[in-house]
Amino acid sequence: MSSIKNIVVSLSGSAASLCTAKYAIYLSKQLNAKLYAVYVVDARSLHELLKARIFVEIEAVEYERDLKDQGTNTLERVKKMAEIKKVEYEGLLLKGVIHEEVINTVRDLSADLLVIGELKEIVSRREIFYDEGERIFRESSCPVVVVKNPEEVDRLYRELEQ
Amino acid sequence: MKISDYFKKEFCIMDLKATNKEQAIREVANCLTVNGKIKDKEKFIHDILERESLGSTGIGHKVAIPHSRTDVVNGFVIGFGRSKEGIDFKALDGDKVNLIFLMGANPSELNLYLRLLAELSRLLMENSFRRELMSVNTGEEVIDMIKRYEAGSGIVK
Repeated sequence: MSSIKNIVVSLSGSAASLCTAKYAIYLSKQLNAKLYAVYVVDARSLHELLKARIFVEIEAVEYERDLKDQGTNTLERVKKMAEIKKVEYEGLLLKGVIHEEVINTVRDLSADLLVIGELKEIVSRREIFYDEGERIFRESSCPVVVVKNPEEVDRLYRELEQ
Repeated sequence: MKISDYFKKEFCIMDLKATNKEQAIREVANCLTVNGKIKDKEKFIHDILERESLGSTGIGHKVAIPHSRTDVVNGFVIGFGRSKEGIDFKALDGDKVNLIFLMGANPSELNLYLRLLAELSRLLMENSFRRELMSVNTGEEVIDMIKRYEAGSGIVK
């Protein structure tokens, strides 16, 4: 019996993150684990832009609303994808500093595995500090799977029995 | 994601001819349109000016970042214009603006746009960054400079 019971997947709402979700669903099915999908509304960037007066208040409010809508839609879409494959699923819409919320969720759920999308090329310490994906990868308290090869992921998901 | 990934020397105007805010926005927008980055220039400018009507994007320190989400761009666009004389942007500190970063993003690119705006904001907070932008001569130098600051290398000694 698998000792992996809880898998967390971090989603950004992009097309690439749906690929990440597919692989997370594939893993969850294979390991008979529960899948938690996390979308975090990027409150840090919103706050920085407000503080720098690049965003005005109404703009920030609208932006946050749109991010929440994107998060809700993304989680709903992944829920349907998980249901098709009969994978136990829970979606979490959070707000805050992205890497902090994901790391905290991993810890609070005692996750056994974290699934994230492909990392970008990093050429400096400064980029490491500001890149959310990099921070999640480095600071996770559980093993991390970095999803690559979208065509193969698509095939694995499609061929997964329901 | 980095600002420099979206910047080309063709998107930089080192000596704006504009004498007011709208002219300056038009001049940089025209540069982006000519280079194929904007599908409908007038709609783009309308969206930018609509955002300006909510509050000036002259954020102080002689910098303005006129920006908008707009469906007449694919992905994200950024252009730069520098005015030696300075342009009245009704900036928050009352100063004229010498450095203008014009930005637009498709509404589907929520997270990308947010993070690139935040990144540009961080770069512009550095005095040395703004000073160098006033002294470089070409678009290539602007891009090299941005890459250096993105990498955390900052001032060339």
